[in-house]
Amino acid sequence: MSSTSQKHRDFVAEPMGEKSVMALAGIGEVLGKRLEDKGFDKAYVVLGQFLVLKKDEELFRDWLKDTCGANSKQQGDCCGCLKEWCDAFL
Amino acid sequence: MASMQLTDEELFSELKRFGFTPGPVTENTRPVYLKKLKKLREEQQQRGSRLGKTRSSGSRPASHDVTHLSSSRRPDRKSSVLGFSSDESDVEIPLKRKGLSHSVRVDRSPSSSQQPKTRPVTAASVAFKNEYDAGSTLNSNNSSPGPDGQRNVSLGWRVRARSSSEAEGREDEESEGEDDYMGETEKNSRSLNGCGGSNLNTSKLAGDYSDSDEEVLGGFGARHRKLDLLEPRRSHPKASFSSRGVGRGSQTGGAAREVNPPGSLNMVRRWRGEDEEDEIKRRDTGPSGGLRGHYFPKKPIYVSLNDNHRGEAGKNNHVDSEDGASRSSTFSIGLRPRFSNYSSLSQTYRGNHSNHSAPNHSYSQALLKHKLSAPEEELLQQFKREEVASSGNLFSAHYLSWFLLMAACLFFLLLGLMYLRMRGSGSSEVDGVSKYHTGCAEKDLILKLLLSLHDHLAHIAGIDVWATWKLICAVPLTCTVCLFVQTQNWEFENLTHTSLEWIIRTGRDGADEPVTDVSEISRLESTHPKMPFACRFRRAFFTVISRVFLIAAGCLWGVVCYMKYRWRRQEEETRQMYDMVERIIDVLRSHNEACQENQDLQPYLPIPHVRDSLVQPQDRSKMKKIWDQAMRFLSANESRIRTETQRIGGADFLVWRWIQPSLSCDKSSLMPSKVWQGKAFPLDRRNSPPNSLTPCLKIRNMFDPVMEVGENWDLAIHEAILEKCSDNDGIVHIAVDKNSREGCVYVKCLSAEHSGKAFKALHGSWFDGKLVTVKYLRLDRYHQRFPQAQGCSTPLKASSLHLNTMSMMNTTPCLQHHSSANSSGFS
Repeated sequence: MSSTSQKHRDFVAEPMGEKSVMALAGIGEVLGKRLEDKGFDKAYVVLGQFLVLKKDEELFRDWLKDTCGANSKQQGDCCGCLKEWCDAFL
Repeated sequence: MASMQLTDEELFSELKRFGFTPGPVTENTRPVYLKKLKKLREEQQQRGSRLGKTRSSGSRPASHDVTHLSSSRRPDRKSSVLGFSSDESDVEIPLKRKGLSHSVRVDRSPSSSQQPKTRPVTAASVAFKNEYDAGSTLNSNNSSPGPDGQRNVSLGWRVRARSSSEAEGREDEESEGEDDYMGETEKNSRSLNGCGGSNLNTSKLAGDYSDSDEEVLGGFGARHRKLDLLEPRRSHPKASFSSRGVGRGSQTGGAAREVNPPGSLNMVRRWRGEDEEDEIKRRDTGPSGGLRGHYFPKKPIYVSLNDNHRGEAGKNNHVDSEDGASRSSTFSIGLRPRFSNYSSLSQTYRGNHSNHSAPNHSYSQALLKHKLSAPEEELLQQFKREEVASSGNLFSAHYLSWFLLMAACLFFLLLGLMYLRMRGSGSSEVDGVSKYHTGCAEKDLILKLLLSLHDHLAHIAGIDVWATWKLICAVPLTCTVCLFVQTQNWEFENLTHTSLEWIIRTGRDGADEPVTDVSEISRLESTHPKMPFACRFRRAFFTVISRVFLIAAGCLWGVVCYMKYRWRRQEEETRQMYDMVERIIDVLRSHNEACQENQDLQPYLPIPHVRDSLVQPQDRSKMKKIWDQAMRFLSANESRIRTETQRIGGADFLVWRWIQPSLSCDKSSLMPSKVWQGKAFPLDRRNSPPNSLTPCLKIRNMFDPVMEVGENWDLAIHEAILEKCSDNDGIVHIAVDKNSREGCVYVKCLSAEHSGKAFKALHGSWFDGKLVTVKYLRLDRYHQRFPQAQGCSTPLKASSLHLNTMSMMNTTPCLQHHSSANSSGFS
């Protein structure tokens, strides 16, 4: 059973609403700040980017890496979190 | 990369061409898609280069080289040029119109269009042929463009550059065009001591040169704002000369060095220098060294030229390096198999050089040859190194096969020797015998006699053996011996006795009793029968087989023992693992229950803590394996436990969380079940009759008949009522109407007063989540309904003293059910 963090479970449990981008799994303070500086201040904006990339994991990871410098684990966490959210609510 | 020039649509279509359907290209997704495009192109280029490598096989090495180059170049160029071709042509055309002479272009195009786009091989071969053929023409033409020589050199170079630039737009032609022109000008330089010769299409091109010279210059000048861009480009054509063949580069280099036409050819000098630098640089950079260095510039010609065109935005430099790097890799890949080709090429070139140089004897020519040989030698050296390296590998493989062969031969030799040994053992006896005999001339004869006798006996024995597998040889003695001896050799007649004595003396006859006298010898037996070959073979075969069986049986037995041991060990471990798993589950469950009561505890337990609490410190290293197995088992097979990562005290721990909701009795306690839950409204005059009217009560909404499960839920209702009215010991009859939709319960009390008290206690109370209402009933109706109630007069009491239904939620709810289940019917 793969382990998911508490953050992941909290995020996936309910519609994201106006949650900040730091509520995403894998995105902490530093990365969240960077994303906000780029204009991705809410989780739904990042979701939008994920959807624009057609929910392609690899592309989204690349984008994350380019945008906020996330490492592999953080990319994976964020991507998985969004994917699961989409599966549940989209 | 000039991909920045790609519009969104182009990027989109490029990605689609690779079979990848991208999402919308927005400002955010653009870099991502650019990266993806680059990656896809690199993959394609690699695939192309691999294809190009396989395509090369040597009938026409030169053409193949060119082909390979062009092909390897092509996908790469495609990758860089593909999407850009449209851009490039768009960008190029105005530039070309600006800079290039149309006439030249037109002239070039037919010459290049001669070579069909799809057949670079033929084109290359044509180019080569042209080169070879042009040698003579070049020589003949040497004199004519004498004054133009210098100019032609520069022109040639420029032409080459231009041709290559012109060829940018055309993917296939470019290689050929460039090769063609390069070859030509190379020849020119070669034959003319670096004084530029005419080109292949001298008639056509000479005029063009003259026409296009200024235009070319102008074009270049106009086109390329940066001179440094110009320089590398120029040097590339320079280098491209050399890349043509092994010696050619140096040759032309030498030529150029020699020529160094003054005046207008500062560029040439610069080209020279740059070329040499490039060559040296490239030689150093690549593992394939010189050849690669030669080849390397070929590609960049296109690149740089393309880049120049594309790179109006000024991205040429890093693009160039980027492309160069990518191409160099493909080059080096593709170049290695070419070595053999090149060595032959170089030799042919050398021949050609000598041919061409024949008419032109000059110091420069000799120099050229020198220069030619140097890079050629380097190339050959590299080739040899490669060969040696490859042969090294071969040797090891060779050695291996030889070794196996030798081993087999040795084995068979040994077998043969063993056979022979059996035969030759007789001679040892003879040797032994000869020791005893002191130097006598008869010695030899006696030896011979004995030998023959031995052989004969062995033969007889062998026959016997062969027949009956028994070593019995009844040879009646002396007479037959004598006869035998006589038949063998008359010399032996006298010596039979002595020989027999010898046998006795040596004592090697193996007789049971010592034989002292000849006459006592009755039987001669050969202990070493000389058996026929087949018999021998069979015996050997059987012994070998038996031995092999023995060994195999021994091994098998050992293996079986080991397997049994392992199996036992594994069983033991599994048992221990299950034991551990059960203990872990117990711990977690108890912890969960503790957490239910005590909300301060965290609902999960860190795994290391669990381990340390279950396993004694001295056992921890021993049980480590079992613990790991238990962990894996739990994560795979146990659904009630979840493994998570939690942060405890600042450190991340793997924890176990018990996620089974409470068991059935617990579950029911979560919902209000069969307990009195308080009053909904206070009873006052409004909602209750002032005084109890009758001793019979009808209680509504105590239960829902549909929802009730179990056998004795009505008894639970009884219990509940009794407990609610425990202070009132006047209830004599309770009847639960199981089928009523309203959940009605009928109660009869001793008197109206008791029923009034019960009414007050029950009416308006919450029970099991339902609001209970009470109504007075007429006694006679009650008795009609329940005739058995007429006789009841003993007050009922709750069966358990625990007052389970009165308790608040969650307190030992299991017991309530148990007690209700246990209560016996007492109506």
